[in-house]
Amino acid sequence: MSATTHSSVDASGHGQHESSKFHIFVQLAMILAVITGVEIVLIYIPLAKWLIVTSLITLSLVKFMLVIFIFMHLKWDKLFCTILFFIGLVLAGGTVAALLALFIVKDSKPLTSEDAAAIDYVVRSV
Amino acid sequence: MSNHAAAGAIDHHHDHTTATGIPNKKLFMWAFLASDCMFFGALISMHLIYRLHETPNAPDVLSIFSLELTSFSTFILLMSSLLMALAVNTCQKGHVGATRKMLIGTIIFGLIFLACQVYEFKHFVQLGLTLNSSMFGSTFYTLTGTHGVHVAIGVLWLVLMYIRTFKPADGSPWILKAFIHLLVFAVVTVASIKAILGAVHAIQEHGATAQMISTFVQHDLLAIIATAVGMAGLVFLARESKAVEFGEANAVDVESMGLYWHFVDIVWIVIFTVVYLLEYL
Repeated sequence: MSATTHSSVDASGHGQHESSKFHIFVQLAMILAVITGVEIVLIYIPLAKWLIVTSLITLSLVKFMLVIFIFMHLKWDKLFCTILFFIGLVLAGGTVAALLALFIVKDSKPLTSEDAAAIDYVVRSV
Repeated sequence: MSNHAAAGAIDHHHDHTTATGIPNKKLFMWAFLASDCMFFGALISMHLIYRLHETPNAPDVLSIFSLELTSFSTFILLMSSLLMALAVNTCQKGHVGATRKMLIGTIIFGLIFLACQVYEFKHFVQLGLTLNSSMFGSTFYTLTGTHGVHVAIGVLWLVLMYIRTFKPADGSPWILKAFIHLLVFAVVTVASIKAILGAVHAIQEHGATAQMISTFVQHDLLAIIATAVGMAGLVFLARESKAVEFGEANAVDVESMGLYWHFVDIVWIVIFTVVYLLEYL
């Protein structure tokens, strides 16, 4: 008896939960569209470059997290799914950070003929 | 409609028969997406490192980028994610008809995104930005092209899932019908993209005039006819005749595909900022 009652409560709760998801998804899509609009407007606002870049990265991160936690159901799934995905995400982020730190644009630019001649001169003199 | 009538009885977030409590298909997809993150991470780094390398006679990127088009395709991809999430939601409730509609919507939005990308690439090549014209071109096409391939694979998967929803419950042969369905989808996809690009080209050439319509019809008559016939074929093939073997129990398949589709969306969220918006600063 008690098991039956428990099961019916679960089923009804599950139904309500699934129904409310529809509204959550629609609202989220609207929020994502608005954030994208804000991003586009932001690049035309005459503010400091570092401030715009930081804002754009933050807004992208917010969109990213909203999609993975709500559209991709991480919020409702087991924690292991979040951990698994974030392992890949952290490794990818680390790779990007390491590569950008190692090969910054100034250092990885191809040598000009003057640079090559200067290096050649140093090598010969050593 | 579905032979899985007991809607609401399945817990879609947990599977107590597996060691982890997570359905194996979903676990596999999360592991794959984690590895794909690293793949795109490497491509994005490559673009960020090489984008400022000056190449002689390289075209000015800002003068060829179209923020309107890119914003439009970003919006389309975000909305396709909404439809995909709704497809998963309706499938979890056992509503096969609604699932089909959401899948078709996602397919259409995915195709619009791909059409925008084809148009963008064609436009850029005409303006001199090719794979080997500059370092920016090489990394740009590699990154956005790889993403486009992911979208194309996603669309194919969506089409296959849509066709799967018609598998008859009585076990009667359906492979030939499924193959014809896929073939019709392929014809409609290619013909409609060609027709849309032809229409855009005609508008650019003549504006919104009667001459534009005659040019469009002259150049793309075959594509227009193929699209119309293909659409009629799809409507014919989608008519409901008997019970199908698709319902709530297949929700995990739709959800796994949804995870892939949303991942494609989040990668584009990053690309939109890193590749396009940063160029305007």
